[in-house]
Amino acid sequence: MLSFISFGRAAAIVLCDMASTAWYIGGIVETAIGPAAPWFILGVLFCAAPVLMLYIEGSAMFVRGGVYKVVRESMGGSLAKVSVSALMFDYVLTGAISAVSAGQYLAGLANSALPRLHIHWTVNPKLFAVVFALCVVAYFWRQNIRGIEESSDKAIKIMSLVGVMAAVTFTWAAYTIYVRGFNWPALRLDFTHESLGWLKGSEHSLGKLGLLVAFGHAFLGMSGLETLAQVYREMEAPKLKNLKRAAAVIFTFALFLTGTISFLAVGLIPDDVRRTYADNLLSGLAMSMAGPHWAQLLLQAFVVLVGVLILSGAVNTSIMGSNGVLNRLAEDRIMPDSLRHLHPRFGTTHRMINLVVLMQAITIILCRGDVYLLGEAYAFGVIWSFVFNAGAVLVLRFKDRSKREWKVPFNLIVARHELPLGLAALFLLLLSVGLVNLMTKTIATVSGVAFTAFFFALFLISERLNKRERQHGEHREKFNLRSAGDLAIVREEIEKPNRVLVAVRDPGNLYHLNKTLESHDSETTDLVVFTSRIRKGLGLVDETISMDNDEERLFTKVIESAEKHGKTVTPMLVVSNDPFYAITQAAQAVGATEVVFGVSAKLSTDAQLERLAMTWGSLQTDKKAVRFRILGPGVEHAVDL
Amino acid sequence: MSWFQKKTPEPASESPKTTPPARVGKGLKVSSILTEDTILFPAEGHDKAAVLQSLAAAVCGKAGIADWAAFLAKVQEREQGISTTLDTGLSLPHARMDGIATILAGMAILKKPIPDPKQTDLAIRVMFLFFSPNKQDAFPLHLQLLRGVSSLLQPALIDQLTAASSPTAALELVKKLEA
Repeated sequence: MLSFISFGRAAAIVLCDMASTAWYIGGIVETAIGPAAPWFILGVLFCAAPVLMLYIEGSAMFVRGGVYKVVRESMGGSLAKVSVSALMFDYVLTGAISAVSAGQYLAGLANSALPRLHIHWTVNPKLFAVVFALCVVAYFWRQNIRGIEESSDKAIKIMSLVGVMAAVTFTWAAYTIYVRGFNWPALRLDFTHESLGWLKGSEHSLGKLGLLVAFGHAFLGMSGLETLAQVYREMEAPKLKNLKRAAAVIFTFALFLTGTISFLAVGLIPDDVRRTYADNLLSGLAMSMAGPHWAQLLLQAFVVLVGVLILSGAVNTSIMGSNGVLNRLAEDRIMPDSLRHLHPRFGTTHRMINLVVLMQAITIILCRGDVYLLGEAYAFGVIWSFVFNAGAVLVLRFKDRSKREWKVPFNLIVARHELPLGLAALFLLLLSVGLVNLMTKTIATVSGVAFTAFFFALFLISERLNKRERQHGEHREKFNLRSAGDLAIVREEIEKPNRVLVAVRDPGNLYHLNKTLESHDSETTDLVVFTSRIRKGLGLVDETISMDNDEERLFTKVIESAEKHGKTVTPMLVVSNDPFYAITQAAQAVGATEVVFGVSAKLSTDAQLERLAMTWGSLQTDKKAVRFRILGPGVEHAVDL
Repeated sequence: MSWFQKKTPEPASESPKTTPPARVGKGLKVSSILTEDTILFPAEGHDKAAVLQSLAAAVCGKAGIADWAAFLAKVQEREQGISTTLDTGLSLPHARMDGIATILAGMAILKKPIPDPKQTDLAIRVMFLFFSPNKQDAFPLHLQLLRGVSSLLQPALIDQLTAASSPTAALELVKKLEA
């Protein structure tokens, strides 16, 4: 069954990554640019609004979107491969930095709490962080192998807990401000040699470029946003409306949480104390609240608990996001086809998940628990995938003038030509940040370029090998066929009060399916999309249970239609010696109250209905009414029997 | 994935299935459109075409239609299309005709099954012929009758019909099952 998720679940998945940066961004950015860090973090979070708009426009154009698809359509395959290679770098780093940061928080809590319990042990934060990070990655590896539905459940729970934590912390912080006052972060930039990278020595001549340098260091606040394009495919109908809702939730939550926490950390934690909490800033915030020590410790424990959960959730999101990206590549034969192999039980692309998780584990071991090192390497892929995406969507505005479902605003019409000023401004801003980051974030540049080059080469080689192997360029979905001898398994999944069966045969004639999907309500109705393989005589007995090329092509189109509409469908393939018997038996077995057909090129609609009515009657064992519908362009027949 | 095949005709059984058949249309019963005059027991040796011809003549004769050949031609034309014979042993030829206001129907019961020329693996044991008005608003009733007759004439009833001694007995069997 192909199922879809609500905008709330989609937002929770994205936020598990994007909002988790609140736990480490403050420390990293302040180390890099000085006390003005919260202002730049806030600026980056406001900048997320136009970037989210960019993703809405791109995703509305391509359901299976994301940077790869958009850039490929606009600028060609090579640049698309570069952009997605850079993005993969960040997905790997997201998992690593989140898991390691979670470990640092736990180690910090242990080191705060153990003396209170008269246990005089000290936990080595970096070693503990590495071990814990590997455990987290292993846990979410297993979860992702089991499938997205379970993972999005956890994301919702984690984000709810984050909401509670934010309410408690902000209320307590308000009381602390009332008691002690608040030190607004100074608007002063203190770059280190490390944070200026190859611009080292030019501190005093940077001028306004310094603002861009600082902005670039804070850019990791937007990490995880690309996942929105990956989960769009899974989003339920109405897709665009839900995408906008998810974007609004993501923007508001991230701005409120990460922005406020960054300001509170600098405003409430004394400067000298804050340095000791660079790797676990929220713990420092908890321990700086007004109140007794035991209460501070309790808040720290709560903050750490929630932090561990959301940072672990970010690991999950990074695995899901990178799996989605690799799937898009595999569909285009840019990854070896063997990587798309579906898990026999859970139907997930387990080999891709294994690949991503392996790279994350290696990164965790190599970083040796140093969050700042990971932070310095971070955001290379984020910024460049945004640059490529913005450039691609901008180019598409001129290249493809078809009507858009939604556009980034600020478009000026001059002499009937639309000038996308908003989009162009966003592209220029992102490009500037990207170029400045290339010079200043040297670790990110060196490691990012190396990683990107490696992935680009891998994609290029895979693509060429796949081209040799296959002549046909059309994408085919992978399907898990459950070869049970009866409909018991399908019936278990069919539980809604209404059931509709749509019979399909020709991938070029799915008008009736699309029409049905338009008005279909996944909440109340199960939609079974059915096709039959007709075999006669002994051929039927010897039939192997696997899809042939035509069936794969047909169901690929079915899945694409379902994704486009965001409606849940249950594909079903039946081997039979008579199509009408097959349809009737399947429809009666699932308890369909409506059976929908397309217009046949061979049979008149009357003949189709007549034959179906006869077959239905001969097989019917109850008195249940059924509606037959035949839908085609300009054709709509409905008969109640 | 499931494996479905046309079901094979069930062997004759002593106790017929008692599942009530679906009613045809809004209260229309199959027995109400049949009379003793339109239930035939063709002699052995007739093929499908001959049985169809006899049945068309009887149905049209009962309705007072002189040009029964036109009705036969129409149903023969329909028979060239998708099969109207079911695995149950029921053949269900039908046609939508201009100039009639109600459904005209007849049934031929074959003591010895005859093969369907289009599907030689299927044996015809009962042929149910009907004509319905060629009007758009009558098409649902046409389809309901197709479903109702095929639902009613299951192997168990067909077994009983082929064992019946007369049209009256056959009609009683249909009425009894529909009651």
